[in-house]
Amino acid sequence: MRLLVVEDDQTLNKQIVTALEQAGYAVDHAFDGEEGQFLGETEPYDAAILDLGLPNVDGVSVLNAWRREGRKMPVIILTARDRWSDKVQGFDAGADDYVTKPFHMEELLARVRALLRRATGHATSEISCGPVKLDTRSGRVAVDGNPIKLTSHEYRLLSYLMHHTGRIVSRGELTEHLYDQDFDRDSNTIEVFIGRLRKKLGVDIIQTVRGLGYLLDTGQTRT
Amino acid sequence: MRRLRPSLDRLAPVLDRFAPIYDRLTGRSIAVRLAVSALFWSFVILLIAGLILSTLYRDNTEKAFDQRLLVYANTLASNLVAPGDPDRDLGPVGDPRFELPLSGWYWQVGRPGAAPVDIRSSKSLFGGQLPSLAPPDSKDFGKVRRGYGHAPDDRELRVIERDIDVGEDGRFIIRVAGPADEISTASRQFVFALVVTFTLLGLALGFTTLLQIRFGLRPLSDLRGALGAIRRGEADRVVGEYPRDIAPLATDLNLLLDTNREILDRARTQVGNLAHALKTPLSIVVNEAENAPDEVAVRIREQAGLMRDQVNYYLDRARAAALAGTLGTLTDVEPVIAGLTRTFAKIYRDKDLEIDMAITPGLRFRGERQDFEEMAGNLIDNAAKWATGRVLVEATANREDPQRPRLVLAVEDDGPGLPEGGRVEMLKRGRRLDETKPGSGLGLSIVTDLAALYGGTLRLDVSSLGGLKAVLELPGGQN
Repeated sequence: MRLLVVEDDQTLNKQIVTALEQAGYAVDHAFDGEEGQFLGETEPYDAAILDLGLPNVDGVSVLNAWRREGRKMPVIILTARDRWSDKVQGFDAGADDYVTKPFHMEELLARVRALLRRATGHATSEISCGPVKLDTRSGRVAVDGNPIKLTSHEYRLLSYLMHHTGRIVSRGELTEHLYDQDFDRDSNTIEVFIGRLRKKLGVDIIQTVRGLGYLLDTGQTRT
Repeated sequence: MRRLRPSLDRLAPVLDRFAPIYDRLTGRSIAVRLAVSALFWSFVILLIAGLILSTLYRDNTEKAFDQRLLVYANTLASNLVAPGDPDRDLGPVGDPRFELPLSGWYWQVGRPGAAPVDIRSSKSLFGGQLPSLAPPDSKDFGKVRRGYGHAPDDRELRVIERDIDVGEDGRFIIRVAGPADEISTASRQFVFALVVTFTLLGLALGFTTLLQIRFGLRPLSDLRGALGAIRRGEADRVVGEYPRDIAPLATDLNLLLDTNREILDRARTQVGNLAHALKTPLSIVVNEAENAPDEVAVRIREQAGLMRDQVNYYLDRARAAALAGTLGTLTDVEPVIAGLTRTFAKIYRDKDLEIDMAITPGLRFRGERQDFEEMAGNLIDNAAKWATGRVLVEATANREDPQRPRLVLAVEDDGPGLPEGGRVEMLKRGRRLDETKPGSGLGLSIVTDLAALYGGTLRLDVSSLGGLKAVLELPGGQN
């Protein structure tokens, strides 16, 4: 899952990015509204965390611009302005959630997880596909109840596929959603990670659809 | 002056008694002041004019009457100096009323100091005597004298005396008299006509004065209307054309309102900036604490939470206090509640919550939109937190007191509700009766404080849905 953080305070921006990366997300960041708007309009993010009081272009205008451009990713507004009028304005501009400063990072992470789950149609924090269970809250993966240890990249790959069960996910899409913009993208590495994942899971739930991409077997998927 | 002073001294207590009435009358409005003073001075001027006119008329009537008497006296004098028997009859003088006994018209000719038998008189005098106006041989001899006296039948008479020296025959005094009631009757009739005329004139003056006051003070009354509209929140500026006497006042009022709004906007922006300036570092501190040892992290989180709540509370208070007494803002209730309902539907989308609203059309809150949003938002948020499935937001107008129309916002939920004692406790600052739901516990006390700044109230009750019913009364009403 690839996220965008738009926050003008450099320290807080770094804290959020670090926490999200540690939680297994690929994260891009911007320090002002202009850059944030550009990234949100051009990159395929799964969710965005957006401050309202931004330099150059304010957060509500950025959000309005994204929605005008047809960007539908869930957006969490993160702001010091916690009056209901600000919240109504934010939600009316197309926000999906609202976190007021100061906040606990755990709370923000929980909101991000909930939004991503909701956006992909999952009701709980635990996603199952056959014998494989992925707990988005703890970041743990288990097959038939036995915990499996995955690297950060392997986890991101499995998480993205499990969030999008029932549809073919192309290699290009995986590359776009698993790596941040600074990462040296090479679609061949996806194949390597898929191979490693299949080996670690021990069950063949990831099907290769020749010429199109990968598909998690929906017949065995439960949420 | 010396005679006037005791009169004024006597008048002082009377004026003192009227002073409070005058003050009460004139203290109310400029129109009453103008009307009272215009009517008072009109009355005084008409009264003085009436007195002068009636006096002048009486004087003129007297002079005309005297002129007639003098004509008769001159006739008698010419008869007296005509050659012939000195004892001959001097009449008639041309008016038959001198021949009628006790007709009120008399003449009498005699020598100064003569005995009554030597005096010749008109037949109407019937042997009586006319009153003497001047003693004989006085220094006034030779002049025409005028005065009042009484006839033998006691009727009041206007009398003139004329002295005549006929040489060898000596001096004579000619007296001619006519009934004085002819003068007083003419005067009375004139005064009556004058009173009627002046009364009508006074009424006409009063009416036109009132019309003038109404016309003249219309710009002021328009200005008062414009200010009332601002106070009621129906307008945000003084609108309309005003005469140049009060146009600067209207302009200054608008400037004052603009300045007030600018100050408010600046205060709001600064409060927003302050919130941002304080809360962002607070977020960093909280997040840094996540990596600190457990005990330290917990304490920092706890204290940071307290700081956040305090910052929120006092920022809200500071902003709301800046608003107190702000004129001319009116907020439509329906769009605010609709916006909040949309927002809460998103916030509580995982809860399967139904938020119904019943808003009387055209309902308005007399105050800032942001404050109404804050109060309604906190109440709905509180209800949504505790509701098991349903929240009802109802807004109606309360017109019990037509001078102070109110807006009543009731937010009900189907949650567990609160016992009576708890409902009182709940409104105290920062009070949380249940720690299982998130929140600072400041929501309802912020509502109470904000409502109080607008002269409104918040009370908690039992809802027909089974939970809590929060009823907020604020200044406002229906459009």
